[in-house]
Amino acid sequence: MMRRRYRRGGTALAAMVLALGLTACGGSDNGDDNSSAKKPGEKIELTFWSWVPGVDKAVALWNSQNPDVQVKLADKTVGSQGGYAKMHAAVKADKAPDLVQMEYQNIPEFLLDDELVDLGEYGADDVADKFVDWQWKQVSYGEGVYAIPQASGPMGLFYRKDLFEKWGIQPPTTWPEFKEAAKVVREHDAYICTFPPGNSAWFTALAWQNGANWFGIDGDTWTVDIDSPETLQVAQFWDEMVKEDLIKTVGDFSEEWNKDLNTGKIVSWPTAQWGDGVLAAAAPKTEGKWAAAPIPQWDPSNFMSANWGGSSTAVLKGTDHAEEAMEFATWLNSDPESIDLLIAGAYGWPAAKDALEGSALDRPYPFFGGQEINDIFVEADTAIDVNWGWIPTVSETYAHLNDGFQKAVDGEGSFVETVKEAQQQTVEDLEARDLNAQG
Amino acid sequence: MSIRRSERQAATGFLLPFVFLYLFVFVLPIGYAAYQSFLKTERSGLGLGASGAARTVFAGLDNYRLALAKPEFIDGMVRVFGFALVEVPLMIGTATLLALLLDAASARWVPLFRSSFFLPYGVPGVIASILWGFLYVPNVSPIVEVLGHVGLNLDPLGSSTATFWSLANIVTWEFAGYNMLILVAQLKAIDNELYEAARIDGANAWHEIRHIKLPLIRPAIVLTTIFTIIGTLQLFAEPFVLKGKSTAIDSSYTPNLAAYTQAFTNNNQHLAAAQAVILALATSLLSFGFLYLVGRKANR
Repeated sequence: MMRRRYRRGGTALAAMVLALGLTACGGSDNGDDNSSAKKPGEKIELTFWSWVPGVDKAVALWNSQNPDVQVKLADKTVGSQGGYAKMHAAVKADKAPDLVQMEYQNIPEFLLDDELVDLGEYGADDVADKFVDWQWKQVSYGEGVYAIPQASGPMGLFYRKDLFEKWGIQPPTTWPEFKEAAKVVREHDAYICTFPPGNSAWFTALAWQNGANWFGIDGDTWTVDIDSPETLQVAQFWDEMVKEDLIKTVGDFSEEWNKDLNTGKIVSWPTAQWGDGVLAAAAPKTEGKWAAAPIPQWDPSNFMSANWGGSSTAVLKGTDHAEEAMEFATWLNSDPESIDLLIAGAYGWPAAKDALEGSALDRPYPFFGGQEINDIFVEADTAIDVNWGWIPTVSETYAHLNDGFQKAVDGEGSFVETVKEAQQQTVEDLEARDLNAQG
Repeated sequence: MSIRRSERQAATGFLLPFVFLYLFVFVLPIGYAAYQSFLKTERSGLGLGASGAARTVFAGLDNYRLALAKPEFIDGMVRVFGFALVEVPLMIGTATLLALLLDAASARWVPLFRSSFFLPYGVPGVIASILWGFLYVPNVSPIVEVLGHVGLNLDPLGSSTATFWSLANIVTWEFAGYNMLILVAQLKAIDNELYEAARIDGANAWHEIRHIKLPLIRPAIVLTTIFTIIGTLQLFAEPFVLKGKSTAIDSSYTPNLAAYTQAFTNNNQHLAAAQAVILALATSLLSFGFLYLVGRKANR
């Protein structure tokens, strides 16, 4: 099939040429051609799969403003809970939706089967400066741009201000201080936080904060560096916390965790900005008693935050309207009105530049005693290592970490050993997919 | 002659819907899975975009080799065999006991008890697991709380051993009533004259159970045993639902869970298909092995 590579400007013209070209080849459409532009006055409908709460309102707003390009929100299955599997299947069956919600770490997995439209061909580079640099990097692989960034999760620390004050604990600014605080909390028959053994994305973010850089590309080889000194330091820290009975090891988002938060048995949570809504829902009885602080540091002279969770809007191969799809995706994730609607659904931290000021995030939070918590996260967002990337087999790496962490919590092995094993297993995962990998 | 033909037509008519469904929702998908298990995706370099374009090629037994080389898959296999070893006697024992109690001459309110024993089977496995999940998690469970007050500290999902028995409890709760019903049906079919004759010979209730009931419901016991073997080896919904609540359950706790993870988290259908075929082979080996053993004993 012919490859198209046009970047800035002239998109419509190129699309027209292409459409002519297609007619000339007898209109063969095998999923690789996805750019036939909308004819003037023609009405088209784009299908969009997304599980983000509040996205329906943003879609409704777009539909009211764009009668010719209607977006239909169809499937709401969360990606990691079967949504991605459905997307893979839909592309294979040639029944793919035009647009989908896609977390950053899943983009390479979709590139592996060539399932994403390179938006660079539709002028994505022209809108790059609307978005924060590091998040734009999360959707760029090689020469291509494979999604429009939507939101992320810069990290901070939520803690029970009332209890910390009562027990004479300063909000910890470093991880060693965090450990000391944990000891004091234990004296009051509570725990400072949980290490969720089944949610290694959280651990990954903490390794990211310490300067780990697990995945990379070297020429035509994926590089894996999970067992780096930075990661091992983080793993060992939490190993000790568990060994000394300073933290709980229940799952985050579990009923037990909710109850512990609600009854003051767990008194802090190092988490992403989007955790505010989760916390308010999990522990409604503690309204007004929380506060936000910057995430504890490893090296206080070099302030670093991390990112937990991040999502984008991607265009799947097989669409007939890639250009309009990209237009919608850009609008959805950068238009202030749309962003405000998404914020109301607690979708995370906007990937669009300068989105905080005047937005729905720029306000005092009653749950946090009236604190303007997002001042903390503005700082955090500028202190994230921008070089973090992903590999196509991240889900498998997470599974290895989860399985190992769970065993460690059960008394078999340790977090450090798990990290070392995950290194080896991840290289094998990549090789099992017939990819070049180096550990 | 003409009667025969119309009989044959009737038989064909009755069989057709079954054969149709059997072929399309059973044989065809299995054949497709088996076919998928012999394929693999070939890539090069980073595998991205057109330069590393993926090709599906014939893999021979590669996927089977890969599946069997994964220690966690073998662990899961061993785990469900162990589970079957525990669950089969537990299940069949419970079902037989309940059936005999209902069939006892002195039993009262039989229809009420029969329906209440059977009721859990009407609850889908996923719902049952969610329900039991709430009863298992300390802090949330009223049972654990009450037992805690009398000094019995339980954490049903707290260790791998506890989790194993907690799963066995759910499965028994769900299916014992169903198996019981099969046994009850066969008990009902026993000719009353046999009991009369036994009583004339001076048999008591225990003798009747030992020498009449148990030998005569043997075929039903064999059947329910086969059901239980197949059911336990294919364990999926219960551990899948409880996965988030117990650290003992990992992503390949049972072979079915491992295949699910390969297919739906790792997007590797070919390997998942191979794992499913291996499980199917192991299950049939065990089921037919059991039938063969039972048959040999009966012929002796």
